[in-house]
Parts: sequence; structure tokens; C-alpha cells
Amino acid sequence: MKRFLRDNGLSLGFGLMFLAALVGQAFAGQSDFNHRQLAQGGRELSLLQYVTSSDFAVNVAENWQSEYLQFFLYVFATVWLVQRGSPESKPVDEVGLESDEEQRVGRHTTEESPEWAKAGGWRTGVFSRSLGIVMAVIFLLSWFAQSVSGLSVYNAEQIAELQDPVTWGGYVVSGEFWNRTLQNWQSELLAVGSLAVLSVYLRQRGSPESKPVGTSHETTETSG
Amino acid sequence: MSARGVKGDSCPGLTGTRKGNHWGMFRKTLATACGLALLSGAAACSADQRESAASAAASAFSDAIASGDAAAACAALAPETVEAVAASEGESCEASLGAQELPSGAVGEVQVWGDRAQVRTDEDVLFLVELEDGWKVVAAGCEPQGDRPYLCEVGG
Repeated sequence: MKRFLRDNGLSLGFGLMFLAALVGQAFAGQSDFNHRQLAQGGRELSLLQYVTSSDFAVNVAENWQSEYLQFFLYVFATVWLVQRGSPESKPVDEVGLESDEEQRVGRHTTEESPEWAKAGGWRTGVFSRSLGIVMAVIFLLSWFAQSVSGLSVYNAEQIAELQDPVTWGGYVVSGEFWNRTLQNWQSELLAVGSLAVLSVYLRQRGSPESKPVGTSHETTETSG
Repeated sequence: MSARGVKGDSCPGLTGTRKGNHWGMFRKTLATACGLALLSGAAACSADQRESAASAAASAFSDAIASGDAAAACAALAPETVEAVAASEGESCEASLGAQELPSGAVGEVQVWGDRAQVRTDEDVLFLVELEDGWKVVAAGCEPQGDRPYLCEVGG
């Protein structure tokens, strides 16, 4: 049991923190929602009603989509973009998909290689891109969920202000939708870009996201 | 998106028994997709029932106006609208509504979004809110003003 906890510390730790933050968001969101309802002459919602509402859904989905976009772009962009001196980058002379030997596919697979890596053909092609594909699919589904739940929230506000509701097509080209979307994208892109650059010159002892403390600023792709 | 298309058995892959990294990954992806679909569909749950209830409330208000039953019309209004009507006219809601010639007519298009609804009748556009005791009319006798909010005789 102790070993299981140690071996899965990252997934368990972040999973628990995620759940705690989501529960906290539910309580804070319900309080904020009910405050707005009082001001607009609407009825208050219980916690259960709130967590099944579009208001909660759009606030969850808009953050999910930006996070998965961030990691999809990071996984995909780091194939082609490098940063000299950054432990987040591979060596600057290895830009691209790399050789079969480096990627251990084709005749370079081993007994321990995953089945789809050994299979060849379309299965190896899909498996070779599976991390990026899954991240991109979750991003697109979250973004779609944001658009659907956001439409419901936006139209409820429109009617409360004695205005006509809009269609889904009208909503996804509206300032409301793109304001929600881009305010999340800009912060994610800034965080990724600044990590890549700051990790050239700064260190975090023991972290795989950092180079070893004594490594030179010029060294690329070394975790410590 | 309607909740009618999002049922628990719409994710049959989750009960698969095959082993392997790719299958596990596929199942996780499918689980996430279904979770997000449920998240989106939850808000639309029982949309038809809520549309019917909003339509019935609008119809009751419109019928009361058509028959000159001011008491029934005031009973169909939201409390804040009743207060606003009484305050603006300086007399009771019943007396105020009885003196106005509000449009009425059969209920047509109904749109429900969250706890708000917009209902079009033959001659009017009504705005409703869902309260503890059901749907209530917030504004009636409304005329469009382009991109600006409707101008309403009651509750505007």
C-alpha cells in the first residue's frame, strides 16, 4: 500500500487536489450564482441544483478546454520548436519526428515495446500520435461543452435583461464566447512560454522540470 | 444539445474487458467524452416539460388579459413586477392592469434558457422567470427596440 502510494504520488496527489478544488469551486460558484439571482429577482439554487446547472458547467468547461489545449500544443509544438538551454526542450539539432531508431519503432522495437508500437502500419501511426490526439480530442469536447453551456447561461442573461436569446451559431461568434475563451488561452500560453525560458536560467533542486542546479545555462534537455 | 440523446448506455465501450495500454487509453478517452456530454446535457434535462410549464403560465396570463380578469393576471406576475406596477401607477396591481389595454393572443414560440423564458403570443412578447411556485411573468406588452432591450408596458 505504501509503495503503491509512492509509485502513484503524482496522479493521486493531483487527483485529490483536483477534486478538492472542484468541490471548492462548486460552493463558491453557488454562492456567487445565488447572489446574482437575488439581484435579478431569480430563485436561489441548492448545491445539487447548481452543480447540474449550465453556470457551473461553463465555468468548468472553459478552464478544461484551455488546459487541454495548453498541453496538446506543448506536446505537439515541442516536436518542432526547441529552446536552447531549456530542460523543457529536446536538443536543438533533433527538431522533427526523429528516426525510427531513436523512437524505437519499425525493426528497432523490443520485447517490452507496447503492442501498437510493434504492430506497424496504421496502428503504430496512431499510437505514435496518441498523446497529442487524446489531448486534442478532450480539448475539442471541452470547448464544445463550453459553447453549449455558455449559450444557456448567456441566453438566460439576455432574457433577464429583456433581450432576445441567440442561436448557437450566433453565440460562438459573440464577444462573450471569445472573451471567455481567449482570457484562458493567453494565460496558458504565457505560463508555458515563461516556463520554457525561465528554466534556462533558474533551477528547482530535485524537480524533473528543472536542470540539475549546477548545470550550465547552455545545456538543453537535462532533468534534475 | 438535448439530454434525450445522452443516456447511460451510450458508452458501451466502458464495459469492455480487453487488456492493453491502447484499449485502456481508448476507454479513458471515451469516459471523458461521455462525461463532458453529460455535463453539457444536464442543463437541458426535461426541457420539454419546462417549456410546457412556461407556455402554460404565459397562456394563463394572456387569457386573463383577454377576459379582463385583472386579479388572475396579477397572480401570474412575478412579485417584483407586481410591486413595480403598483409603485409606478400609484394604485393596486389589479386597478393598474385593468386600466391598461395589454395585447393578448395564443401562445406561439417558447424559448427556455436556465430559469428564464421568452414566450411569443400572437400580438405580444412575454418574459418569464421560474420561481419556487412556478413560472411567473416578469414583463409583458413588449416592443423590440433593435439591439436594445425590449420596451415593455408592464415590468419594463
